[in-house]
Amino acid sequence: MLPLSLLKSAQGHPMLVELKNGETYNGHLVNCDTWMNIHLREVICTSKDGDRFWRMPECYVRGNTIKYLRVPDEVIDKVQEETKSRSDRRPPGVGRGRGRGGREEGSKPKGVGRGLEDGGGRGAGAARGRGGVGGRAAGNRGGGRGR
Amino acid sequence: MSGRKETVLDLAKFVDKGVQVKLTGGRLVTGTLKGYDQLLNLVLDEAVEFLRDPEDPLKTTDQTRRLGLIVCRGTAVMLVSPTDGTDEISNPFVQPDGA
Amino acid sequence: MATGAGLETLVDQTISVITNDGRNIVGILKGFDQATNIILDESHERVYSTKEGVQQLVLGLYIIRGDNISIVGELDEDLDASLDLSKLRAHPLKPVIH
Repeated sequence: MLPLSLLKSAQGHPMLVELKNGETYNGHLVNCDTWMNIHLREVICTSKDGDRFWRMPECYVRGNTIKYLRVPDEVIDKVQEETKSRSDRRPPGVGRGRGRGGREEGSKPKGVGRGLEDGGGRGAGAARGRGGVGGRAAGNRGGGRGR
Repeated sequence: MSGRKETVLDLAKFVDKGVQVKLTGGRLVTGTLKGYDQLLNLVLDEAVEFLRDPEDPLKTTDQTRRLGLIVCRGTAVMLVSPTDGTDEISNPFVQPDGA
Repeated sequence: MATGAGLETLVDQTISVITNDGRNIVGILKGFDQATNIILDESHERVYSTKEGVQQLVLGLYIIRGDNISIVGELDEDLDASLDLSKLRAHPLKPVIH
C-alpha cells in the first residue's frame, strides 16, 4: 500500500500534520496531490512549543515541509477495501495492468500494475476496535510535549 | 509525466484577499494576494512581515515591518492560508486527558 | 527491480524507526514508496529518559515522510517482549543537524 494512497483515502477525515519546523496542524483533509501537498479545512495550528494556538478556516501546506501525518485508524481499512474492489474489477487474464487505474496517484505506475496493494486479503470487515484519531490526536497535543 | 496539475488549492479564490504565508526559514508574511503562478510564486501587495524573536528565529512576535509590494518565491512557500477567519485562540484542546 | 532498500520484506512486520528529530517510533509497516515515505499502523513512540523508564505514547496510524526518516529497522518481537522498558534508562537522541 502506498503512503499517498492512504493519504488520498483520508480525504474528508480529520488528521494531524506536523511540519518540519515543529508546528502542528489539526484539520480535515480536503485534498492532496502526488507531492503530498495538502489542503486542510477547519484547522487548528499549534506552535512548536505547544503554547500558542491559531484557528484558520483552511490552509495549504507544501508537501516537502511535512514531517509526518497522523490519520484515523479506520482509514487503512478503507484503502484496503478500495484497492480490493479495484483488483476485483480487473479481468483475470490481464496480469500486467499497463498504468491503468485512473486515480491520480496512478501516475506512479509501480504498485498499481503489480497488484502490490492487495494487502494479503484482510477481511473487509476487520474490526479494529479502537477509537478515531481525531479526538485522541487533539487530546494528546494540547499538552505540548515540547519537541 | 506531463499533466501535472497543481489544483490542491485553488489560489484564484484568494486573489485580492488577505493571505498569510509562512516561508521556509521561519518568516511570516501577510498581504493582499495580487497574483500567483503554478510554481506557487506569489505577488503580495501591502505586505507586512512579522518580526521574529532574536533569541529564537523560529518564533514570530507581534512586531511588524512593512514590506510593500513583494514576490514570494514559490520554492520557499511552506504554507498559505487566508487571513480572514484566522485568529489566535486559547488552548482548544482539553488538557485532562491522562495522555 | 529493487526499490527502496528492501523494505518489501518488512511489510506487515513490526519495525522501529528513528526520525531526524530523534524520535523512536515502533509500528507495523503497512506500506512505503520510492521516497521512503512509510505507513506505520498501530504505532507508538518510545520516549527515552535518564530519569525514568521508557514512556510509550500511542500514536495509531501514521504516515512518516521519507525526508524525516534516519533509520528503519526490523524489530525482534521476542527480544523486545523480554525487555523491561520501565527499567530502561537512556539519553534521548538529539535531532539530526543539517
